[in-house]
Amino acid sequence: MQIQPILAALRQHKAGTVLIALQIALTLAIVCNALFIIHQRVTHLSEPTGIDEANLFVIGNQWADQSSAQQVDAQMQADLATLRQLPAVRDATASNSYPLVGGGWDDFITMTPDQVQKTTDASVYFGDTHFLDTLGLKLIAGRNFRPDEVAPMSPHEVVTPPVVIVTRALADKLYPDGSALGKSFYAMSATPTTIIGIVARLQRSEVDTWSRPYAYQALIWPRRLDGTVGTNYIVRAKPGQLEAAMREAKQGLIAQNRMRIIDPKDGVLSFAQVRHRAYDSDRGTAILMGIICAVLLVITGAGIIGLTSFWVGQRRKQIGIRRALGATQRDILHYFQTENLLIAGAGVALGAILAVGLNLWMMKQLAMDRMSLLYVLAGVVVLLLLGQGAVFAPALRASRVSPVEATRTV
Amino acid sequence: MLKMTHLSKVYRTEVVETYALRDFNIDVKEGEFVAVMGPSGSGKTTFLTIAGLLESFTGGEYLLDGADVSGLGDNARSKIRNEKIGFVFQSFNLIPDLNVHDNVEVPLRYRGMKSAERQQRIKESLERVGLASRMKHYPAELSGGQQQRVAIARALAGSPRLLLADEPTGNLDTQMARGVMELLEEIHREGATIVMVTHDPELAARAQRSVHIIDGQAVDIAEEPRFHAQPRRVEVAAEGGAG
Repeated sequence: MQIQPILAALRQHKAGTVLIALQIALTLAIVCNALFIIHQRVTHLSEPTGIDEANLFVIGNQWADQSSAQQVDAQMQADLATLRQLPAVRDATASNSYPLVGGGWDDFITMTPDQVQKTTDASVYFGDTHFLDTLGLKLIAGRNFRPDEVAPMSPHEVVTPPVVIVTRALADKLYPDGSALGKSFYAMSATPTTIIGIVARLQRSEVDTWSRPYAYQALIWPRRLDGTVGTNYIVRAKPGQLEAAMREAKQGLIAQNRMRIIDPKDGVLSFAQVRHRAYDSDRGTAILMGIICAVLLVITGAGIIGLTSFWVGQRRKQIGIRRALGATQRDILHYFQTENLLIAGAGVALGAILAVGLNLWMMKQLAMDRMSLLYVLAGVVVLLLLGQGAVFAPALRASRVSPVEATRTV
Repeated sequence: MLKMTHLSKVYRTEVVETYALRDFNIDVKEGEFVAVMGPSGSGKTTFLTIAGLLESFTGGEYLLDGADVSGLGDNARSKIRNEKIGFVFQSFNLIPDLNVHDNVEVPLRYRGMKSAERQQRIKESLERVGLASRMKHYPAELSGGQQQRVAIARALAGSPRLLLADEPTGNLDTQMARGVMELLEEIHREGATIVMVTHDPELAARAQRSVHIIDGQAVDIAEEPRFHAQPRRVEVAAEGGAG
C-alpha cells in the first residue's frame, strides 16, 4: 500500500483534508448520539406496560354539577356498577391515574421514617378490589385488597394506608433478597405500610426521561380518590369486544346520570390511543433525529464527493503522469480509496472521542443514559462505508484518465 | 527495440477523419539514440505517445522489444510502461505534492518492488543525476534543470529498455539544456536506447540518427556519426522503410 506517499500528498492539501475529516468527525459524533436516542425512543415506544392493553379503554369523566365528596363517591360506585353490568365489559375500576397518561402521583420511598435520602421512587395508583382484574395485572405473590381495606381518600390527605400492593420491580428494589411480601416501608409518611401483594409488572404513569430508571416501580393504595373534580374510569372489555364496550360504556354512563361531561373527541380512549399519545413526542424526536442523521450523512457524502471530484479535476495531469509511469486503473482507484480511508479514519477517530464526549455531556446536562460503544462502532463503520461509497464515483472517473494526459502541456 | 510498420493513427469525429500518423514506419535498434523532428502538428507527439503505449493506434503493427503490443489490454500496457519504458517530458511532469525521493519512487512502487531495493535504486539514480542531496526537496524548490534531472532519475530508476524524451530541454535555458543533453548522452553511452522528440536541429544533431515526421509519415534523415547537423541520406520511410 502506498500510504506514506498519500500522507505526504495530503500534507500539501491540509485545508481540504482537515475540513473533510472534521465534517466526518462531527457527523459521527452527532449520528452516534442521535441513533442512540432514536433507539432509546423506539424501544420505549414498544415497552410493555404490564396491563391488558388490547382490551382496555379509559373514560375521562367530569361532573356537570357541584356535589359533595360523599355524593360523588356514591355516584362513582353507581357508575362502576353500571359499567360492570354491560354485556361487552369484563370489569371496571376508578383510579387517580393509569400507565402512560403522563404526570401522576409519585412518592419517595424510605425504609425508615427518619431516613433523609430516599431509597427509591414509586408511582402511586389508587385502586379498589377490581383494580387488578380490570387492568389485567398478574398477582405473583400475596393477595388482592379486601373490601374492608378500601376507603375513600382526598388528594390532600397524607395518611399512608396500612397495606399496599407493589410491583415486582419495586419489591426487588426494596428487598433484593426477595422477601418483600409482609415487609413494610415508608412512603413520605411516619406510618409504615405493609406489602400484602406483588404484581408482575405495572408501568408508572409518567413517560418522562427522569422516571425511566423507575419505569416499573409502582404501588397501589387501597383507596378511592375523591373524584369531585372528575375521575378516570378504567374499563376492561371482554376479548374482541373493545369497540362495543367503548360504545356501551359511554351510553351506559349517560343513561345512569346525565349530569356529567365526557369529551366527545377524547373522553373515551382505547389504550392504543393512550399509548400513541404518550409517545407522540418520543416518536417526533426519533423522526427528527432520523432526519438530522440522514441530512448529515448526505451532506458528508456530498462533501466527500465534492472534494474528491475537485481533487480529481485538479490532479488530472498528475493522474496521467502516474498512469504513464505504470499505474493501472486499479492503482488509481485504490489511490483515491486509500486516501479517503486515511482521511475518514482520522475523522472517525476524532469523531469517536467527540461522540463519547457528547454523550457524557448529555448524561450530565440532560440526564441521558450512557451510550453503548456499539453505537460508536456502528457509526464508525457507517461513516467509513459512506466515505468509500462517496469516493467511488470520482475515483472511478480518475482511474479512467488516460495516461496520455501526461503529455498535455496544460 | 522499437519497430512500427504501416502504423496509422486516426482521430475521428462525426464529420471528419484526421490522420495523425499515416503508413508510418520506423525501426529503432537497441542502443540507438534517435532524434525525431518535425514541424508542429506533424505527428511527433502522437508518435511518442504511441511508442510509449500512452495511446493506442488505429492500424499497422508495433513491435516493442520484439513483442507485438497491438492487442494488449490496459493492465499489460501499464506493466510494459512501468518495466520497459522511461519517460522524460518537456514540462518535467514531477508530482508537485511529492518530494524528490517520493517522485523517483513512484514507478518503483507500481512495480511492487521491495522497500530496500527501492531505496537503493532511488539513491543510485539521484546520485547519477547529481541530486542525491536534494531528496527531501519539493519540485517547486528546484530549478528547471534540476527538475528535469529528477525526471531523468525517475525514468532511469526502473532500468528501462527504452527512454522516450519529449522535448527534454524545451523548457530550459541554454546552460541547463546543455547539462541535460550531456546527461542523456552519458546515459546513451552506457547502453540505453533513447528516442528524443525535438524541434531543435542542434540537439537532433547530437543523436546518432534523425527521423523527420512530415504529415504523419517518417522520413529518415541521417545515420551518421554524432554531431553532424547535415543530413546525408534521405529515405521516405513509408516507401523504403527506415534505414
